[in-house]
Formats: sequence, structure tokens, C-alpha cells
Amino acid sequence: MVMGLWPWAQEVVRDIGRFAGFVWASILASVAGCGTKGVYPLIWTQMNIIGVRSVPVIMVTGAFVGMTLAVQAYDQLAGMGLEEHLGVLINISVVKELGPVLAAVMLAGRIGGALTAELGTMNVTEQIDAVRSMGIDPVRHLVVPRVWACLLLTPVLIIYADLMGVIGGAVVSFAYLGINSRAYWNFSAYGVELWDVGVGVVKGFFFGAAIATISCYKGFTCREGAQGVGQACTEAFVSSFISILAIDFALAMIFKAVYLTFWPLKGLVG
Amino acid sequence: MNMKRAIPQSDHANGPAGTSPDQGILVLHEVTKRFGGRVVLDGLSLAIERGKTTVIIGPSGCGKTVLIKHMVVLLRPTSGQVYFKGRRIDDLGERSLEPVRTHFGFLFQGGALFDSLTVAENILFPWLQHSAPGDGREMQELVKGKLAMVGLDGFQNSYPANLSGGQRKRVALARAIAMNPEVILYDEPTTGLDPIRADIINELVLKLQRELAVTSVVVTHDMKSAYKVGDRIVMLHNGRIIADGDADYIRSHPHPMVQQFINGRIGEDDLAVLRMNGSVPPAQYAPGDFQPGHP
Repeated sequence: MVMGLWPWAQEVVRDIGRFAGFVWASILASVAGCGTKGVYPLIWTQMNIIGVRSVPVIMVTGAFVGMTLAVQAYDQLAGMGLEEHLGVLINISVVKELGPVLAAVMLAGRIGGALTAELGTMNVTEQIDAVRSMGIDPVRHLVVPRVWACLLLTPVLIIYADLMGVIGGAVVSFAYLGINSRAYWNFSAYGVELWDVGVGVVKGFFFGAAIATISCYKGFTCREGAQGVGQACTEAFVSSFISILAIDFALAMIFKAVYLTFWPLKGLVG
Repeated sequence: MNMKRAIPQSDHANGPAGTSPDQGILVLHEVTKRFGGRVVLDGLSLAIERGKTTVIIGPSGCGKTVLIKHMVVLLRPTSGQVYFKGRRIDDLGERSLEPVRTHFGFLFQGGALFDSLTVAENILFPWLQHSAPGDGREMQELVKGKLAMVGLDGFQNSYPANLSGGQRKRVALARAIAMNPEVILYDEPTTGLDPIRADIINELVLKLQRELAVTSVVVTHDMKSAYKVGDRIVMLHNGRIIADGDADYIRSHPHPMVQQFINGRIGEDDLAVLRMNGSVPPAQYAPGDFQPGHP
């Protein structure tokens, strides 16, 4: 049994090594690409594809998160006579946790799948080899614009998701649950700090980088044929999803430690 | 024209013995390539002569495409060396290889055109990456000139999806010559084309050879094409060179595999396997069919 796992473990370690090499090459190419004019139009194009076209679906996701939270949490709070605190619960959950994570998961499905399918098809039809044969670095030309676009726009999309989550939660709370709007916003303003919003947005940079690098890597290394591309898309989504959750956990630990250490000091400098 | 004087004839199992880096513009020296446990190229040595068209033939899966990809280091040998103009290139990093690769044009089997770009953008792609962008008129002239060479002027704004297979190959060829390469590598240029379109590609290979004086390497299993464009024909079998010479030499080569391949006949082993399944009638040729000089 254990011996049977050995080849699998070897392959996993090799795959992690290849991915680390790919990430390193992407970082080097990103740094080198900053100085070249040609890369900016490519980033701009990808920002349009990745960012602008994702806005509607991200807004819908955010709105439903806020609305569902309002419906689910109301009974618990009302049972304790704390229904006017519903805004704190909804808004802190949306901006700090659910908004960023669910927006990133949605992006992993929408963008990650498309990136992997596009690059995977380019790989199996020898278009990536064609780029290399012309003396052009395919990582610099194909990966860097996508990584920058995801890195820069995921936080922006998370802000959209947060905004719609807050609005969705408020609409359901006022119109359906009959909560006093003044109390709702007062408690929200008291309970949700700028720090909470910032944490959610900063997570977006990490989620965006993870989605883009994983999806591009899976596209670059996909096996031949339609089945190979399909499998690569599935692997890209699953890997991105797990990475988002793992990064979210790691960042939650880090940000909590940072908050407890430094945030109380803000009064001294402010 | 008898090419036997100009081109070394060889029956060495691995190509010309004692290949040296300066023997040709492109030299592969004892190149072995393994994928897992499978040996695809087996200590193969080959020197490509400057200004000539070398055709590499062999049955499907014999390592032709793997060999041509080694020439521009899209694949790296497991052992052995690759030299371009006397300089070893297989051990260079990807970044160092970029300027080397600009000396090559590569026509891929399926064309490998970028679907999202127009024909003009495809042709300009390598040029824009390596040169300072010129004015619009200069770029239009470049595209027009390259497309005119392949007989497709007027298709500038078409997308690859709207072209026929033969047109895609010709656009890919126009893109391959966009940087005025010294060496053009053709991977199965006539595969999937009807005989007329295939002959157009053959004529283009000859035309580019004539007008641009490039060195060409053509991988094919189309013997009509090989005889038409090749100054020299090299046959691969099981990752090794089993015949190397001009068209006449190949036609009369005594090796059974060579005769079997150039005449398009199934081998005894394969026939025996099919007969075991009861789907093929008894052999219809005599044992002496594979002798040298047999038509």
C-alpha cells in the first residue's frame, strides 16, 4: 500500500517543483516585462477580458451572498433581541470573508477555466511552440499579461462584490425583515472597521495571483487532445479553489496577528 | 543533375560518421532523445548543408518531428549536442536562445497560426516583437510583400478560421519568413492537403529556396514532395538514419525498410499481424521485391 503511493508522491513532488519553476519564471518575466512598452497593451486587453466582463457575474454573486446572509442570520439574532445588529454580522462577513472568497471562487471558474482552455488549446495546436520558435518568451508574452490583469483586477472586483453584498443584505433587511435602517447602519458603522474592508481587498491580490498562475500553468502543461484540455480545466479549477481556501486561512492567521499587534496603536499615530 | 558527388552518401546507421560542429550550418552530433523509457532518437548525427534542401522521411512515429524540433531547441536532447553555425545551442538557456531562434523560420504541421489575430497581425507578430514598430505604411508593405510571396495578397484582414487548410499553411509560411530567416524548418508541409494544394506548397518551398537562398529542412512522409524539393533525402527508422543521399540513391537503396517506405507497401511483420486477424489476403508480391533497383 505504502509502496504503491511512492510513485504518486514522486509525481506530486515533481509537479510542485515544475509549478515553482513556472512561478519563478513568471516573476522574472513580470519584472523584466515592466520595462517593455509592448507588454502594456497586452495587459490592457487582458484586463478587459478578465476584469470588465466579470463585473456582472461578480456583482450578482455579491448581492446574493448579502441577501442570503440576512435571511439566514435574522432568526438567531431576533431570538436574542439583537436583530438591529444584523448589519454588523452581514457586512463584516461580506467584506472580510465571504465577499472576497466567493468572488475569487467565481473568478476561478469563469477566468481560470477560460485561461486554461485558451492556453491549453494553444499548447496542443503548437501555438506556444510557434511563439518560442520565433525567439519570443511565451511566459513573457502569454502569462505575464494575464497574471498582471488578474493581480490588479481581482481586488477591484472584490470591492464590487462587497458593495453589492452590503446593498443586497440591506435591501432584504429593510424591505423583507423590517429592520430599522438607522439602527442597522449605526451598528454597522460601529462594528465594521476600515481594517476589515482592507483585509478583504488585500486578499484579492493573493487570490488573483494564485488563480492566474495556476490556470496558466495548467494550460501550458496540458496533455494532447480535447480530453487533455478538459482535464487541465478541471484541475485548474480544483487547484485554484483549494489554493483560495488555503491562502484565505493563512492570511486570516497573519492578519489577525498583525491586527492584534499594531491596530490598537493607530490611536497613538492618528 | 547527379547529386552523388555533392552530397555524401551514407549507410552508417547513425548518419555521417564523425560529424563536427562546422560541417554544416546546422549540426546534430550523436543526439539521443528519450521520453520516459522510450528512445525516440538514438545517437543520431546529421549535418545540414547551407543553402540546400534536406528532406527527412520516415514512417509515422519514427521521430521526424522530434528531430526537427531539436534543430531549433524546442526539445532538448537527452544526450548529444546541437550546433548552429559552429556554436553549440542545445545547452543555452531560453533567454540566450531567443536571438538564435530569430535565424529560423518554422512551419508547423497544423500551421500554428494565432486564432485571435488576423493574417496581417500573424505575419507582423514576430516582427513587432523583435523590431522597433515602424509606421503603418512600412508594416503594410512588409505584410503585402510576404503574402505576395505565397500568393495570398489581399487576405490581410481574414482570420485563420476563415481560411482553407492550404491557405493556412501558406500564411504560416509567410509568417515563418517574416524575419528573413537563414534556415526554414518545414514540419509535414503537405500533410492534409489535396495533391494540387500540396504541389503549391512544394513549389513555394522551391521558390523560397531560389529567391531567398535559405537552408531548408523538410520533414515529410510524402515521397512525391520529397523527390521534388529535396537536394538530399535522409530516412529515419527507429530513431536512426538508415539512408542518406540524393533522390536516385534513395530510389535504389537496398534496405528493405527504405524500399517498403518509398513504395508505400506494408511490411511482412505488419502483414503477418493482420493475417492473424483474418482480414488480409495472402501476400501479393514476391520476396525479391525489396532488392535494390526494383521499381
